[in-house]
Amino acid sequence: MINRLRGRRTSALVYVIWGYIIWSLVPVIIAVIYSFNDGRSRTVWQGFSFRWWWQDPNASVFQSSEMRNAIINSLVLAVATLLVVTPLGIALAIGTQRITGRGTNLVQGLTSAPLITPEIVVGAALLITFTRLFTAVPLGFTAQLLGNVTFSLSSVVVIVRARLVSIGPSFEEAARDLGATRWQALRFVLLPMLWPSVMASLVVVFATVIDDFIITSFLSAGVSSETVPLRIYSSVRGGATPALNALATLLVLTSFTVLIVGLFGLSTWRKRHGERGGMRAALADVTRMSS
Amino acid sequence: MRRAPRLWTLFALPGTTWLIALFAIPFYAVACVAFGTIDPIFRDAVPQWNPMSWDFTQASQTLASLTSGPLRGVAIRTVVYVFCAMVISFMIGFPIAYFLARHSGKRKLLFLALIIVPFWVNYLMRMLAWVNLLSSDGLFTRFMRLFGVNYNWLDGSPITVVLGLVYGYVPFLILPLYATLERLDWRLIDAARDLGANSRQAFRLVTMPMSKAGLVAAGILIALPMFGDYYTNDLLSRSPSTEMLGNQIDFFLNASSQPQNGALLVIVLSIFLLVLMSFYLRSTRQQARQTTR
Amino acid sequence: MQRRDFLRKLAITTGGITVGGSLLAACGGGSSTTSDGLSIGTPQNPIKLPVSTDPIADGLANESGTLEILNWADYMNPESIAAFETKFGVKISTSIYDTEEAAVAKLRNGTFKPDVILGMTDTGLAKLIAADILQPLNKSYIPNFGNVISGLRNPYYDLESQYTVPYFLYGNGIGYRTDVIDKSAFAQNGYEVLWDTKYKGRLAVLDSYRDTLAMAIFRNGGNDANSSDPDEIKKAGEALIEMREAVNPKVDILGYQEIPAGNRDIQFLWSGDMFTAVQYLPEGVDPGVLGFWYPETTVTKNDFMCITKAAKSPVLAHQLINFLSDTDNALLNREYVGYQPALETITVDMLLASETIPESLVDALVTPEKYEIGLAQVTLEPEVDALWLEQWTAFTAG
Repeated sequence: MINRLRGRRTSALVYVIWGYIIWSLVPVIIAVIYSFNDGRSRTVWQGFSFRWWWQDPNASVFQSSEMRNAIINSLVLAVATLLVVTPLGIALAIGTQRITGRGTNLVQGLTSAPLITPEIVVGAALLITFTRLFTAVPLGFTAQLLGNVTFSLSSVVVIVRARLVSIGPSFEEAARDLGATRWQALRFVLLPMLWPSVMASLVVVFATVIDDFIITSFLSAGVSSETVPLRIYSSVRGGATPALNALATLLVLTSFTVLIVGLFGLSTWRKRHGERGGMRAALADVTRMSS
Repeated sequence: MRRAPRLWTLFALPGTTWLIALFAIPFYAVACVAFGTIDPIFRDAVPQWNPMSWDFTQASQTLASLTSGPLRGVAIRTVVYVFCAMVISFMIGFPIAYFLARHSGKRKLLFLALIIVPFWVNYLMRMLAWVNLLSSDGLFTRFMRLFGVNYNWLDGSPITVVLGLVYGYVPFLILPLYATLERLDWRLIDAARDLGANSRQAFRLVTMPMSKAGLVAAGILIALPMFGDYYTNDLLSRSPSTEMLGNQIDFFLNASSQPQNGALLVIVLSIFLLVLMSFYLRSTRQQARQTTR
Repeated sequence: MQRRDFLRKLAITTGGITVGGSLLAACGGGSSTTSDGLSIGTPQNPIKLPVSTDPIADGLANESGTLEILNWADYMNPESIAAFETKFGVKISTSIYDTEEAAVAKLRNGTFKPDVILGMTDTGLAKLIAADILQPLNKSYIPNFGNVISGLRNPYYDLESQYTVPYFLYGNGIGYRTDVIDKSAFAQNGYEVLWDTKYKGRLAVLDSYRDTLAMAIFRNGGNDANSSDPDEIKKAGEALIEMREAVNPKVDILGYQEIPAGNRDIQFLWSGDMFTAVQYLPEGVDPGVLGFWYPETTVTKNDFMCITKAAKSPVLAHQLINFLSDTDNALLNREYVGYQPALETITVDMLLASETIPESLVDALVTPEKYEIGLAQVTLEPEVDALWLEQWTAFTAG
């Protein structure tokens, strides 16, 4: 198919897109650079140093106990959420795709609803629920875990379901023709083929939970359940040093590392299992929105 | 499969139970707090678990406050901010998505990757970056002073808040827009051009109508979280003159002794968004039906 | 009456102050001792709070592990924290609250579960008692209680100090940059400065409905910090809205950072904040740029320390209170926090002699005279409280 865009318009739009990319990324890059600032300011450059990363004994990211706690809390919460939401989401995706009968639409609606609900509504509802109804659930890590699983469940379902659709029923049917039970077909044929979507959802959920602010904030219980985004938020309003920039940079680095590892894992898996697509398909898997 | 084997129902059961317990029931809890009574000593909410005994006096007071009372300003302001942010986001996002969809060069993957990067940068960090740049001795402020613009960006400015919303949510607009535009059947546009339409006419009469449903869906996709946003305002302004509905909900639920007001506002917000969501669902169904490649 | 005792003792130490007859008039509006279950104490009707549990036994050993504190931001010196941690071999973990209402709400719904609460005032005390959140103190662990200003050892809000030990003293006033605003601006009706459009976008008020609404009442000419007059309250709310339209104020408790940083020129805040502000001045800036106007009609009070009923380390909690009531520890604490500890041994003269008080901030010190004329701020009856909150919401909702 011939690209019919005229040369003039093409070059104008290229500037627009580069302009956007610069506007989008440069502030963040500047923030990262200032994390290496020697002085207390986040706005005036005073020389290069690792002071806020590990040198300063009280306020640097690696030596400040509050910041370390925030980092640990973030990682633990993200991993715990992954462990719960992944099997739950896979089962839900498989189940909702294949059930029939009355109530199917309702269940599918229920599964998709969290995707289009603003986080503040979910956070507020869960806060009220845990303080008034399910009072056995303490606020803090437990509540944050339950809240994040609830919020990420639908993303997992979307990712896995897309893969299910593209796989189709033929493989399982072939297995059943050869004598396997439904459960055996599932376990030995379908689940292995779902692996890329599992990887994609691990990446997406990890990044979502580690970046999550509203739900984690509404359900927190003081400093013991503070995650990195909460720490950043409470510090911006008072007493912020470049350590904040460093903490935020660390967060971004973590997300990116997980993303890149996931992308490489995905495209390697695809190559090894003879599916086409490479990096672009991996990207598509990972950025699957409700589009 | 004629009748769904019980295996699949068993599979769907844990997830569905979870969602009922932690997604559906919480909405009921919100309603019970919103339509409950008030403890006379602490002025705290006393939830009413029996829907038959729900008390709507508080609700009508809140509604009155939203339409003609103190909360009217917040409600109007929130709608205005979100609308402005959406318009600006489209003005920025649509050309980019269009370019990405049509450009089939080697650079496409690079552009896609660079556009996706903000997704993976924490929203707070992106706002923090701007807080640094916009503070009184920040780089951006100093830059603008060179042009004689001596503006206090962080002192309760609606412009800053709206632009902050744009900066935060534009990446979430570009991808769905790109997905919509990529799925269009460009042969139809080529056909229009072959039939004599110039590029502007082809755009107006073919591209736009075909992508309208997807555009609406993408717009609503970012409007929904924007309506509930409160931390953008908190980080960039923190002045009552830019207070948004999300700030009020956050205040009542987290910093006051009157969670029932927060619960009521959550319900009002949810109903408002349900209306928007129904538009969204209609648009996605329309979009799925439209001609795709 | 508590204030008179306090003044008398201070008069002896600092010499020559007349106790004015304005004392009675300046005391907050009287209200009943119990109402709807809230035990509200006022200077005219002091109250002995109900006790539902026994204090901990004498002579228990200190717990180990972590002591959980609930405190305002920057309201305890990290060096003091470190000193306590070293002395008792424990760790301290601090959760922060931004407003008293938020703290009370979160303590009630279980979000916060600290051992010790620092910086609470009596406007929150009644609700904490009614919600049965605090435990009575065992003073045998707090020998330094004798250091507390004698007039505050038997406060009206907690006769016999069953639950509380005073922490810091402060008064409400206006902090400002002397390089932008001259002292003479406050000569007429000082509060009016906050409504002056000259300071648009460079002004802030406290995120505390009791303090800021009361300030509006004073600006309107009233003198009741605990007003239950719906008209007076409403006019105060309208005055605040007028201020919002005129000067677009910020509403927070960060004046102690923003004023020295140069991001704002003037804020209605607590007097101790301006001393904290000295540390946040950029390098080489003279503390003379910080000024404070202490109004004649204003609230002057103290906050306190208390221990929760569900505290996991109550003995340690008592130890912390005792630790902070020691003169040297309190002085060290003050170096960071800036506020005046409510200890008899730390007098205004002593502070002035220590030469740590910038000339421009001498007005921010709470002297016995200021305490005399200062108004008390007590818990409001729930219906009245609702009126105040209504006006405050109208103001903050923009």
